Amino acid sequence: MKRRLAPIFACIGLQLFFSPPSSLAAGLQCAPPGPYVNEIAHLLFLGAMIFFIYEILHAGLKKFRGFRFLLWAWALLALWNLDAFVGHWAAWTCAAPLVLGDGWSSRLLMKDFRDWTVLVTQLNNFLLLVPAFYLFYRGLKALAQMPRTKHQ
Amino acid sequence: MITVPLALIWILEALASVLVIALTWLTLRISAKSLAQDPENALWLFLNWLSIAFLAFACTHLISYTTRNLIIYFHFHQLALVEGIFGGLDTVTYVVIGAITLFFHRIQRIYLHMEVDHRHLEETSQEILELNREMEALVIERTMKEMALGIAHGIRNPLCIIGGLSHRLIKNPDDAEATRDQAQAIAEEAKRIEEMVHRFEKLAHKKTSLFAQKDINLLVGSTLDFLRSEFKAKKISLVTELSASPLPGRIDTQLLRIALAHLLRNAVEATQPRGTVLVRTSMDEENVILMIKDTGRGMAPEVVDQVFIPFYTTKLGGTGLGMVFVRQIVNEHRGTIDLESNVGQGTTVTIKIPHRFAELPGVSEDIPAPESPASSGPSSGSPQD
Repeated sequence: MKRRLAPIFACIGLQLFFSPPSSLAAGLQCAPPGPYVNEIAHLLFLGAMIFFIYEILHAGLKKFRGFRFLLWAWALLALWNLDAFVGHWAAWTCAAPLVLGDGWSSRLLMKDFRDWTVLVTQLNNFLLLVPAFYLFYRGLKALAQMPRTKHQ
Repeated sequence: MITVPLALIWILEALASVLVIALTWLTLRISAKSLAQDPENALWLFLNWLSIAFLAFACTHLISYTTRNLIIYFHFHQLALVEGIFGGLDTVTYVVIGAITLFFHRIQRIYLHMEVDHRHLEETSQEILELNREMEALVIERTMKEMALGIAHGIRNPLCIIGGLSHRLIKNPDDAEATRDQAQAIAEEAKRIEEMVHRFEKLAHKKTSLFAQKDINLLVGSTLDFLRSEFKAKKISLVTELSASPLPGRIDTQLLRIALAHLLRNAVEATQPRGTVLVRTSMDEENVILMIKDTGRGMAPEVVDQVFIPFYTTKLGGTGLGMVFVRQIVNEHRGTIDLESNVGQGTTVTIKIPHRFAELPGVSEDIPAPESPASSGPSSGSPQD
């Protein structure tokens, strides 16, 4: 019980320690947590993929063709999450995109390095996600073709 | 300043998202099919869940990105709510994928524990089997000793009497009256020995009393009735092609029913829902033929070779003795069992039981099996005669 309560008390203590000094007025509205949640979720997804790669390597499953495909699929998905994390971060920090024209003929004005980062990370959806899921498909197909029986 | 055409990026993004949906759909189909074939497989359970989560991710990703682009570049501001909802769901799917992966870690550990338990069970079963064999050998040895002592004791007295009387006969062959009495006593003692031998013969024959003339068709029918609910529960269609005429055979109904039920249950387990199990009975000149054919996942040749080896099993929690017992039962009936299997095509088990000594049911029932060479020839009622 003490172990469970300890982190809660620690968090309260840290919050009190880092809390701002008293002010005359405090804003009640903060930024919505959506983007932060999305970034954390990307990190969780990334962690899960790395964990899975570790599991495959640790359990010696790399010798199976199906698991080799899955290994590369997870690696690409991990990279995609990293890419998305960086892309979202760049999108937050740069100013609103400047679009010239309208509809299908619209063009994006590349002002600085951050604009390029956002663009490249957006393109990686195609460059990383498609091969990752193709390898996932191949991995499952190879695993399904491995002989399995149930007759005793 | 450089400008980049956005149409190209949208097309690439949309194409990527559609391709990802198609690929995740295909993987979901594979994982669902594999899980249906082997519902106890923890790996396929995990991969199936993961495929579902990936498909959800692919769909929410496509919708959220498309609506976002429509809002930013085509000014469809009324789609803001849709973008928000699907963007949120997209984030949720990342968390779900992470959670499933971590959950798999736990499942894998449980699975490994189960495998260790299975190995222990296997070792224990092996030990029990060895112990049984030793016990059996011990009992046989003791029984043989006791029987030998009993026989020796039972024969010694009459033999002593016969020996003594014969010596007297040799010494005094002229005394007719005494000779007659002694010869009668010898005959009585010889009869005692003969009766004892007869009792042993009867004892030896008693073993075969469980085998009786039966119609194998009836046995197959009653076993199928017993298992019909299992076929129905798994939505497997049972096709029966039973011989129109009775199939006489000298069988132990209890044993053969156990073997048949085991084979049918194996077929049910190996066959996926909406599959078919065919049970066919027929007769050729020498044998009653019983065939069980399923449209299940089948077995690789190297597995088929080992199916009858004790303790060989690919089933979690299986003893690896089921098929061994089945073959033992078929052997008890002087029959043969053949197994043909192809991966993805199914398995066919064919049992042949000779009806050489059989007679039509109802005509002659529960006659002890003819064991002595003199009575082992074909009987007058056998079908080929």
